[in-house]
Amino acid sequence: MFKLNLKIALRNLWKYKGYTSINVFGLAIGLASCILIFIFVRYQLSFDKDYANGDRIYRMVTSWKYADGNEFYSQGVPLPLPAAVRNDFSQFEKVAAIQQSSGIVKAKALPGKAEVKKSESIYYAEPSFFEIFDYKWLAGNPNQSLTAPNTVVLSEKAANTYFGDWRKAIGNTLILDNKTDFKVTGIIKDNPQNSSFPLEIIFSYVSFNSKNSKDWGSVSSSWECYVLLKKGVLLSELDKPIQQFLNKYENDKDASGKVGHTVQPLKTIHHNDNYGNFANKYMPYKQIIGLVIIGLFLLLTACINFINLATAQAISRSKEVGVRKVMGSRRKQLIWQFLSETALITFIALLLACVLSELTLPKMENLFGGDVTFSLFGHPIIFVFLLVMLVVVSFLAGLYPALIMSGFSPALAIKNKVTANAGGVGLRKTLVVVQFAITAILIIGTLVVIKQMSFIRNKSLGFDTQAISLVSLPQDSLSKLKYNGFKERLSGIKGVKNISFCSAAPSSDSNNETSFTYNSSKRVDFQANVKAVDEAYFKTFGLQLIAGRPIAKSDTIKEFVVNETLIKKLNVKNPNEAIGKIMTLWGGKGPIVGVVKDFNNYSLHEKIAPMAMFSRKSNYRGIAIKLDVADIGNTMKQVESTFNTMFPDYVYENEFFDENLKGFYETEQIMGTLFKVFASVVIFISFIGLFGLISFVATQRTKEIAIRKVLGASNLELIKMLNNSFLWMVLIANMVAWPVAYIFVKNWLAGFEYRIDLSIWPFIFAMLISMSITIITVTLRSYRAAKANTIDALKYE
Amino acid sequence: MIKIENLEKVYKTEEIETTALNGINLHVKEGEFVSIMGPSGCGKSTLLNVMGLLDKPESGSYKFIETELLTLNDRERSNFRKRNMGFVFQNFNLIDELTVFENIELPLIYNKVPAGERKKLVNEIIGRMNIVNRSGHFPQQLSGGQQQRVAVARALVTKPKLVLADEPTGNLDSTHGNEVMELLCELNETGTTIVMVTHSSHDASFSNRIINLKDGHVISEKINKGRTEELI
Ligand SMILES: Nc1ncnc2c1ncn2[C@@H]1O[C@H](COP(=O)(O)OP(=O)(O)O)[C@@H](O)[C@H]1O
Ligand SMILES: [Mg+2]
Repeated sequence: MFKLNLKIALRNLWKYKGYTSINVFGLAIGLASCILIFIFVRYQLSFDKDYANGDRIYRMVTSWKYADGNEFYSQGVPLPLPAAVRNDFSQFEKVAAIQQSSGIVKAKALPGKAEVKKSESIYYAEPSFFEIFDYKWLAGNPNQSLTAPNTVVLSEKAANTYFGDWRKAIGNTLILDNKTDFKVTGIIKDNPQNSSFPLEIIFSYVSFNSKNSKDWGSVSSSWECYVLLKKGVLLSELDKPIQQFLNKYENDKDASGKVGHTVQPLKTIHHNDNYGNFANKYMPYKQIIGLVIIGLFLLLTACINFINLATAQAISRSKEVGVRKVMGSRRKQLIWQFLSETALITFIALLLACVLSELTLPKMENLFGGDVTFSLFGHPIIFVFLLVMLVVVSFLAGLYPALIMSGFSPALAIKNKVTANAGGVGLRKTLVVVQFAITAILIIGTLVVIKQMSFIRNKSLGFDTQAISLVSLPQDSLSKLKYNGFKERLSGIKGVKNISFCSAAPSSDSNNETSFTYNSSKRVDFQANVKAVDEAYFKTFGLQLIAGRPIAKSDTIKEFVVNETLIKKLNVKNPNEAIGKIMTLWGGKGPIVGVVKDFNNYSLHEKIAPMAMFSRKSNYRGIAIKLDVADIGNTMKQVESTFNTMFPDYVYENEFFDENLKGFYETEQIMGTLFKVFASVVIFISFIGLFGLISFVATQRTKEIAIRKVLGASNLELIKMLNNSFLWMVLIANMVAWPVAYIFVKNWLAGFEYRIDLSIWPFIFAMLISMSITIITVTLRSYRAAKANTIDALKYE
Repeated sequence: MIKIENLEKVYKTEEIETTALNGINLHVKEGEFVSIMGPSGCGKSTLLNVMGLLDKPESGSYKFIETELLTLNDRERSNFRKRNMGFVFQNFNLIDELTVFENIELPLIYNKVPAGERKKLVNEIIGRMNIVNRSGHFPQQLSGGQQQRVAVARALVTKPKLVLADEPTGNLDSTHGNEVMELLCELNETGTTIVMVTHSSHDASFSNRIINLKDGHVISEKINKGRTEELI
């Protein structure tokens, strides 16, 4: 019996090749997109999951709440915090400080291996860090390898780069910033791609310069602290101790009434965009949910296509049903028969989908700039997912047609008297409306995403981003002496317009916040974002002053320039009033000499912070060069050779500012692309579904069309008639889609502090698009129906 | 009114060519009622379809009051048809999804008759056809005879110059068949030209002239004296 059913199923599929291919193809690209989304989401959700104590690991983070309701967040903590936490909390089993920094790392030449010198991201970590996170150690161990000064632990990959083979690395020496020797005492296994901790070179914390700092007033995003909660301790039990801790160290001082520290679970580090992380990769849950919704939409549209075509086709199989019933088949058996047919189609579609997704995976990898590799069957869970999809889609798509078909009355069915409406015209129309509504929602969503992204690209951030090169500078005291000479030489190069020393560009992901005083000895109740810059900074980045003048040339803190936000927060109405007021911060004291027009110092996700800028040579990390656009390539070559002659022991590193800024929106870029692609797939699927349906309707109405033609209807009138009914459905669908899309889009935009105004145009546009595609599809198909031979259609049945 | 000369129509299918009409010559006067008879497959329906501009012959000439119709393009044919011709089929060919009233109204819509006048015309003809209490029904709810009366009503509502009927009684029993024939006669008496295909000599006896077709030829013509005198 099963074999026979299979035969009938296959012959039926073959008989209706057109509908079958629409079904299978539509389903296959829908499923393929779902597979891709699954792989992507699985990857995003797998971050930082592989630690034995993962659910007890937390990061201490900092936030500032202001009276006006604004909040700022930092992934970092004040330098003395880890030690104090270790001392004061009984709820933590382990506490570890870890600092991110950068430096020039060099390994001396070994026999058979040339000297390796690179500019690297480096870390200083306490041994307890590796007790909290159970890394796999290839050599050494967490208790011994990082306890002594001047020791360093390498990842397998780093060890291989510097020493050729990690086994040779142990006991050898790395030189940091051409100054200090570190002995390699341990090797850890490489971090996987899905980690927020790209640790490659980890120095012992005792070697960290500022390890004994007592400054509670400053926080940097690169000073992180992790804790391991004792077993059985509840998060709520931390509330009181944290409050006591804040009172003891932070709140008793006049400056920091609003500082807060909280513990952030390890598993949210990849997903919380308030805070950053060392890897600078993050993916908010909101975005993931958005993608999952699109995935569901995809499945739904593909299933709707299937249901529509299957029920429309059902009439033609009524005779088979009748005969089977007469021969004694029960309804249940028929339902199973039709369901297994759907399962067969779904299975074929699923195989095709696997091929399609295998082909498109490299495209998805490209989105990440080659940092990530995906593989279809890399994780066994995919098989569970495929099986679930097979079952769900078979039931979702197959059940309704099966119920309809198995319900035919045998007497009517045998005489072929089942009417065309048996498949439930009403339901079919409803499904088409749902499908179009989904399509419209996605068209609107896509349009808004595209608009917001181009808004971000084109928004004036308040500073110049074009043709500015950021060159890192060596940090040792010997090199610092050469800074001025370097600058002088650079200014001699043709094509260099302006040069400025600075701790960071106006907008940067490395930020420092600190408390300060203004016009009194009392600390202000909020913190300022600080940048150490020289006198040429404002000109180089095109920053505008609304009062006063730029700071004068100096190597130490002498004068301040603050931004509009800062004086607004201080309730100073007229910027000129602020000029001449005395500020202290970072141990420096001086008058405010200028107020700079607000510019976006973070990404556009966040509000502009209150800012203070001053000169301080010891904090300059790099040099910003404004270039003449005419011959950037040549100029940069000369800059590089100047750098190499001035600092022969260091590594030249240069980044263009506008490229650098793009990195702020990488998540949006990736999500934007995925959104666009998958939305187009949904749109495509629903329109091939429409094409299938209209083909069917046209076939069903052939006789009617012929009669109308005999009565004098022109082709145009017939096409209009067929279009009409579908256009109504599209119109209703759009009305349904608008409020839903509005809610989605509004929510998404709310994630941007600076965003486009939502206008009616994306909505109108979505309607026009869906209407015109409908008109094109229906017209194409109905023209054929209208042109068909009238007399043949009117012959006796 | 109608002058058909040397009409030829060949159907080409994959395997064979069928000559359905082979040099047909036929003249129909205004107000005449012509029957076409002949064995199955001799080309009667084909001839009627060509006359109704539903099909194009290979060669020949078809003049309708001095207008050559075979050179018209698609749109002109469709326009000419809806203004001048009405059709009655053996299998009624009503639209199942439309009511009796709407079915009859349809040709008026395509002739761009204003709504008010449409209503008047349809109600008028529904009265004449004796189907008043059926105007809101769907075709499936009517008997065959009633359906064919609706079809005749639909053919007449535009007041066409020519009515083409292809075996109008073929699907009806003799009582209903006679009702339909009487309708056609009444119509003919009011001046409408009718060309009817039929297998029944009883039906043919209602007409002025009977034309016999065989293998696409006209083989004989018979004047029905009893009726023709009225015409003269
Ligand atoms: N669409 C068609 N394709 C091929 N042959 C056709 C077609 N329509 C009619 N014929 C052939 O043309 C001949 C005349 O058909 P028709 O005019 O329908 O005969 P009848 O006199 O029975 O109405 C027949 O042999 C028929 O098989
Ligand atoms: Mg015939």
